[in-house]
Amino acid sequence: MRRFFQMACLSFILLSTSAGCTDFVEPNQLAFVIGTGIDDAGKDMLEISHQIALPSQLSGSSKGGSSGDSESFIVISAKGKNVFEANERVQRKLSRRLMTSHRTLIAISQEYIEHNNTNKLFDKLNRDPANNQRDNIVLVKGSAKDFMKIKHPLEQLSSIASNKELQINGMNNYSIRQFIIEHASEGARVLVPLLQIENNDGKGNEKGNLVQFAGHAVLNNELKIKGILDDNDGLEAIWMLGKGTFQGLTIPWKNGNGTLSFRLTHLERRIHSVNGNDPKQILLTVKAQAYLLDNTTPLDMSDVDNMIELKKYLDEKIQTDLQDTLNKVQQWGPDIFGIGEYLHRKHPYWWKSQRDDWDENFKKINVSVKADIQLRSTGTSAGQVE
Amino acid sequence: MKVSSYQLYWLVTISSIVTTSYLPIHLAVEQARQDSWISMLLGGLTMLFVTWVILRVCKQHEDKTLVTFTKELLGTVLGKILVLVYFLLWFRQMTMIAKGTVDFQNLVMLHNTPMVFILLCMLALVVYAVYKGGITAVSRCAEIIGPILVLMFFVQLFLNPEDMNVKRILPVYADTGWLAILTGAFNSYSYLTDPTIALMLFFFAENKRTASRAVIWGTMTTIVWGVLATIVLMFVTGPQIASQLVVPVYSLTKYISILNFIQNIDAFYIPLWLLAAFIKLSLCLFILSYGLSEWTGFRNWKLIAWIVTSVWFVFYIYSNHNIRLSFTLKSMYLNGVLYPFVYLVIPLILWMIGTIKQRSKA
Repeated sequence: MRRFFQMACLSFILLSTSAGCTDFVEPNQLAFVIGTGIDDAGKDMLEISHQIALPSQLSGSSKGGSSGDSESFIVISAKGKNVFEANERVQRKLSRRLMTSHRTLIAISQEYIEHNNTNKLFDKLNRDPANNQRDNIVLVKGSAKDFMKIKHPLEQLSSIASNKELQINGMNNYSIRQFIIEHASEGARVLVPLLQIENNDGKGNEKGNLVQFAGHAVLNNELKIKGILDDNDGLEAIWMLGKGTFQGLTIPWKNGNGTLSFRLTHLERRIHSVNGNDPKQILLTVKAQAYLLDNTTPLDMSDVDNMIELKKYLDEKIQTDLQDTLNKVQQWGPDIFGIGEYLHRKHPYWWKSQRDDWDENFKKINVSVKADIQLRSTGTSAGQVE
Repeated sequence: MKVSSYQLYWLVTISSIVTTSYLPIHLAVEQARQDSWISMLLGGLTMLFVTWVILRVCKQHEDKTLVTFTKELLGTVLGKILVLVYFLLWFRQMTMIAKGTVDFQNLVMLHNTPMVFILLCMLALVVYAVYKGGITAVSRCAEIIGPILVLMFFVQLFLNPEDMNVKRILPVYADTGWLAILTGAFNSYSYLTDPTIALMLFFFAENKRTASRAVIWGTMTTIVWGVLATIVLMFVTGPQIASQLVVPVYSLTKYISILNFIQNIDAFYIPLWLLAAFIKLSLCLFILSYGLSEWTGFRNWKLIAWIVTSVWFVFYIYSNHNIRLSFTLKSMYLNGVLYPFVYLVIPLILWMIGTIKQRSKA
């Protein structure tokens, strides 16, 4: 009996102490960081702005009431020499422990990336196991702090809004982890979406702002912006670097005779050498399946000859457009298409002499684009309804 | 105390895979980049050969443990001195794994909990299992934990299909060359598997014939997993990132995200790894204390287990304050002298002497 009593006491003590409750932080002691903005603060300092969800407000509006006047988030910012220090200073202002595991977006201001060594932002993300690295990374025009502060008319949090905007437009490969992996590889540079705040003045009252694509920034090996592609060119570049999933395309028909719009799905690209041994001649093939969804030309799409002509025209048009974009990027230098990685694998010994100055050497590579579009459907109408 | 061959398989697999998932991959990738899987394979084959030699030795002395048969083969003094080296090896493995478990829990989850407390909890569990049931208890635990652990370890490698890019493993050889590949193999081979425990465990095996097969299969399972894990790591992260990951398999589990829904698999991985570490530690503690009891002639090995644990505790606390002592993974003395000596030289000598003695008897 006494033995049983001893054992019971011992197990009780063990049970209460070994569960790790000393380190446990209850959910109501946590501040969930949903988005983080990073700004330049001069003199090698950076400013971090955390967008923190207010759980009480979030649940309130989902019950059906309008979002009302109460904000569903707060933005707290602080300056520091590195991410950790700024984080700690934010923490000093808060009654709850910052929790970054559920973050969905990191927005870096264009100004920051131009004036600072952006590489130093990423060490903490790799070193500290408390990061999930699944959050998306974007650049923003203007201040990232303001970006965090905007009130989105559709979503409760602007960072979730931007994240969904990327997803719904078929751009779901911009997580921090992918960014770091791409940046670390020798023969590829990074393309990052650039967002801007759009003043939604059509609605009369200042209900909120939308987030808009301002383009795509082409970064070089030191993560400096070498050029900015506009939204249209950006989509083409995404297709050519193999991250594309689907996108819309509108092209004018010959002689200004109306326009044609397609939905392109199953975007693919492949890199080949034109002839086996010459690394300087590269052929980039892009493939897609096209669905004609808008046709303001006189073409009757039930006619097979028209369809064949359309497919031929589509190939040529896409080929020239993509080639233009590619040439533009090639002039800037950074190889966002990963052609260097292809050459690294195909000609590893030749690559060793090229890799140290790839941004310059890439300019000398002759890359030609070839399109092969499969016209899957011309829609449910043959010609135009008169 | 008897161990069935089935239990032996799990004991060997667990105690090998627990180090394989923790140390060697990083050491190999650091040197050999995308060719680290070749390093792992080379290291693995070396260890398979070592295991085979050790099993030869064990088979010649089926009814004796390491301590007894080295004494018979090499004489009391030399035999006893040589066995000490193995004691040292097991003790090192114990401190290494204990350090891994404690530091990791502190880093990832329990930021403020005193290190001593976590350590004490673990030591208490280990010494309790050994004290109460000896090898029987440990092997029964292994029988339960093993299948779950190995299944989880293999399955989690394939939960990253969206992020895998098979081409990241190319080009083979061209970037690194044989020197880097061999350095990678040299740095990592000793942490891949754990053949020396068979020297003690074989004595407890029920059926000696199937037992050696179990040990070989256990070693093979681990090597296959180790090579596979390295390849998958290359597919998912590429060599540049992989070479910076200190605990790559853990990072790999953190990367898992299937349809944005199945995430944070590390919540399963860490507890299973801790259970495996428990098996490894209690196994080492058992063979060390049993060996010591034979070595000293002091029959009560359970008491020795307590003493060893106290020494272990004190040494751990001390080594924790001495950075050089607690980070000895790449030490030239260990990799170049101690490990080849205990894994290859001594077993080969023992095997030769054993064969000569058998011949001369016959």
